[in-house]
Amino acid sequence: MRRAAVSAVVAVALLGAGSAQAAVPDVSVEVDRTHVSAELGQDFSFRSTIRNRGSSPAAGLVAHLNVLSLRPGLYVDPEDWSEDRTRYLAPIPAGGSTAVTWTVTAVNSGALGVYVAVLPSSGAGRPITGPTLRADIAERKTIDAGGIVPLALGVPALLGALAVGVRLRRR
Amino acid sequence: MAASEHAAPSPATPGWLVVVGQELRDLWVGGRGLLLTLAFSVLLSLIAYLVATNTDLNFLEQREAVGLVLQVTIAVGSLLALLAAADAVSGERERGTLENLLLTPVSRLELGVGKLLAALSLWFAALAVAVPYVWYLGRGVDVVDEALAAGIVVGTLLAVFLASLGLILSLFAASNRISLALGLFILLALYAPTQLPTSARRGWAGDLLLRINPLTAGEHYVGRILVDAHSWSEDLSWLVSPVLGAVLFAAAAIALSGRFIRLPGGFAR
Repeated sequence: MRRAAVSAVVAVALLGAGSAQAAVPDVSVEVDRTHVSAELGQDFSFRSTIRNRGSSPAAGLVAHLNVLSLRPGLYVDPEDWSEDRTRYLAPIPAGGSTAVTWTVTAVNSGALGVYVAVLPSSGAGRPITGPTLRADIAERKTIDAGGIVPLALGVPALLGALAVGVRLRRR
Repeated sequence: MAASEHAAPSPATPGWLVVVGQELRDLWVGGRGLLLTLAFSVLLSLIAYLVATNTDLNFLEQREAVGLVLQVTIAVGSLLALLAAADAVSGERERGTLENLLLTPVSRLELGVGKLLAALSLWFAALAVAVPYVWYLGRGVDVVDEALAAGIVVGTLLAVFLASLGLILSLFAASNRISLALGLFILLALYAPTQLPTSARRGWAGDLLLRINPLTAGEHYVGRILVDAHSWSEDLSWLVSPVLGAVLFAAAAIALSGRFIRLPGGFAR
C-alpha cells in the first residue's frame, strides 16, 4: 500500500483561542494506506503516523478514529467497528513522530470512510485529520440456511415424541 | 426417590450405583428430564434458525455461530444440572421421602454421590441435543470436533461445579424453594460479569474477575478456541478456576453429604 501524506497541517498560532495556553502544536497525520477491501466480519488494521512539524515538543494530543458510510442509507455506529477509538498520545519531540495502529472490525457492508483526527487535549483549536482510508466491505453469507428448518423442527419433535412415548408406556 | 425402590440391591452392586440408577429412572422415565431437554432443544432451534437465516446475524463467522450455540449449551446444560442437584435433598425432605431414604442400607455419602451423578446426566443430555446443531452450523469449516471436545471438557467441569453447588445448597436449605432460588441467584451472579461493558473488563481487576469466576473463565476459554481459533494450550490458564471449582466443590459436596443429609433442613442440629 502506498503511503499517503497528509493534507492537514496546523497553523498553530492562528488556532489559539487567544488565551494564555501554550501554542497548539503543528502536527500532521499520515496513514499507511488509503484503501482496503475486506469481507463483512473481518478485522483489518492500519497505521497512522502523527508527525510533529513544529520546533517544540507536542504534548497533550488525542488521536481519535472515526468511521462513516460514504453512501446514504447506511447507519454506522463507530463503537461497533473498534473498541479502542481514542488514544492519548505521549509527548512527541520536535520533528519526531508517533505511530498508532488501529484494528477495525468490518461490521457493515458497503463503501465506508475511516479517518483519524488529532486534537489537543486542551480543547483549543481545530482537529487535524488525516487522509480518508476508504474501506470496501463485501457482503458475506457464511452460513447456508438450507436445511435449518427440518433440523430446528426435527430435534424438538423427536424429543417430544420420546417424552410422549415414555409417558404412555408408564401408564 | 422412594426408599422401597432401594430395598434389594445386589450385594455386589455399590450403593452409589443403585442410587444413580434409581435417580436416573426418576429423572428420565418420570419425564422431568425429557421435558427439560425438550425445552432446551426448542431454545437451540430458535438460536440456530436465527443465526442461519437472519441477515443481521448472518455476518457472524461460522466459528462464532458454533461458539454461540456451544456457550448457550454449556450455560443452560449446567443450569439444568444445578436445578436437579438443588432439588436432590431438599426436594426429598419436602416430599416427605427423605426419612425412608435414610433407612435404606446406603450410606449418606453414597446417596450424595449418586444424586450428584444423576443430576449431571441433564448436562450430558443437553450436550447430546446440541450435537446436530453444532454439526449443522460448523460443517465445512472443520470446527465440529473441536467444538464438541471443548464442550465436553469445559461444560463438564462447569456442570460438576454447579451441580455440586446445588447439592450443597440442597443439604442446608430449609425448603426446596430456598434451595432453588439461591441456586438461580448464585448462577445469575456468576454470569453477571459477562454483561459488564468491555471497558470494565479491561485492566487487572477486570481480568481477575473473569479468571476467578469458573463460568466466565470457562466460557472465555471456549470462545478463544472456537472463535479465535487458538490452540488448546494457548489459553490454558483460563481453565484453572473451572478445574478448581469442579474439584473443590465436588469434594465438598460429597464430604458434606456424608454428614449433613439430615431430616431437618437448615443448620439445625
